[in-house]
Amino acid sequence: MYAKEMVKQSLPLIIFCGLGAIVAGSTLGLMTDLLREIPGLIVVIPAIIAMRGNISTAFGSRLGSAYHLGVIDANNLWNEELKQNIIGSLLLSFFVAIIIGILAYITSIIPPINVYPNPIKLISIVIIAGILSGVILTIMTIVIIFLVFKRGYDPDNITGPALATFGDIITMLSIFGSALLIEVIM
Amino acid sequence: MIYSWRKIVKTGLPLLSLTILIEIIAGQILQGKQESLLLFPIFLISIPVINSVSGNIGSVLGARLASGLHVGYITLSLKDKEMHDNFIISLLIGFITYFTLAIIIYFIAVFGNLLTEDIALINFIMIFLLTGVLLISIVALVSVITAFLSFKRGLDPDDMVAPVVTTVADVLGILFLFIIIGIFGVGI
Repeated sequence: MYAKEMVKQSLPLIIFCGLGAIVAGSTLGLMTDLLREIPGLIVVIPAIIAMRGNISTAFGSRLGSAYHLGVIDANNLWNEELKQNIIGSLLLSFFVAIIIGILAYITSIIPPINVYPNPIKLISIVIIAGILSGVILTIMTIVIIFLVFKRGYDPDNITGPALATFGDIITMLSIFGSALLIEVIM
Repeated sequence: MIYSWRKIVKTGLPLLSLTILIEIIAGQILQGKQESLLLFPIFLISIPVINSVSGNIGSVLGARLASGLHVGYITLSLKDKEMHDNFIISLLIGFITYFTLAIIIYFIAVFGNLLTEDIALINFIMIFLLTGVLLISIVALVSVITAFLSFKRGLDPDDMVAPVVTTVADVLGILFLFIIIGIFGVGI
């Protein structure tokens, strides 16, 4: 009985998140031309998705804790605590994006791999994709938190799965968009 | 004020940098196989799916173990029955999820004209399912070990399991996929 309950509770959400990952994967499947034209682009994709996932879920769970601590609520959402969290998340995205670009470049040019990406191009793509997805997901998290507050739900139960499902899609679309933009202008 | 952007950046940067370094290794494995992946975009679609399903199930397992350890209905023993049940159920959920998603991905690839080289449905399902089951078995094991070790050392498993498990799933998922494809020899 216990096992049946567990499967019934988690399976639908796990499959739903999987469908989200299929959308993200299909976006990657549409990027074959860009991957061919921009050496090193494929290297940064897992890292950007992981960075976005880590920073966004931490942001979401901090806002959840802030709610439980009574620091923010539906009527007092846009305050200094929230602003510090937003600045912190976006700055962190910016720094980590630079690290990703540099690491991807350095590991590509070493002997066994011998791929020579354009470092400026690669780092620009990572920074634009990281900041763009960061801004979109930050806004999305705040909207979700606001709606959750209004209905009196616990944000801890909602933000995690929502960010896991939409985070990867938005990040992959941001990578697609920034790679396309950089390919056109550089 | 309980939050400051300086503190958020300072506490986040070290663990994130380590995660990023490991993810770059995953990215380099992909780059090594890039030519083949571009010939078989169906596997390009599959990679985020394979990785995120195991990452999610492993995180849920870790959160359940963490709650059990905190409350006390799971003990720090490799023979704990409650832990075994959770482990087996995670594998079961993984099997059902991977099977369902394999069929969906195949038909998306067929209708989206992404099958530039022919792969039979049965072959694709076998490759996808074998990779998924192998991955979820290892990831579930890593989840148990991480939860138990962090609890034993007085760290909160809730903070540790998710980052460790998702990073491990990303690297091993890509590695296992290429190993299984190699065994089945569809040309990658």
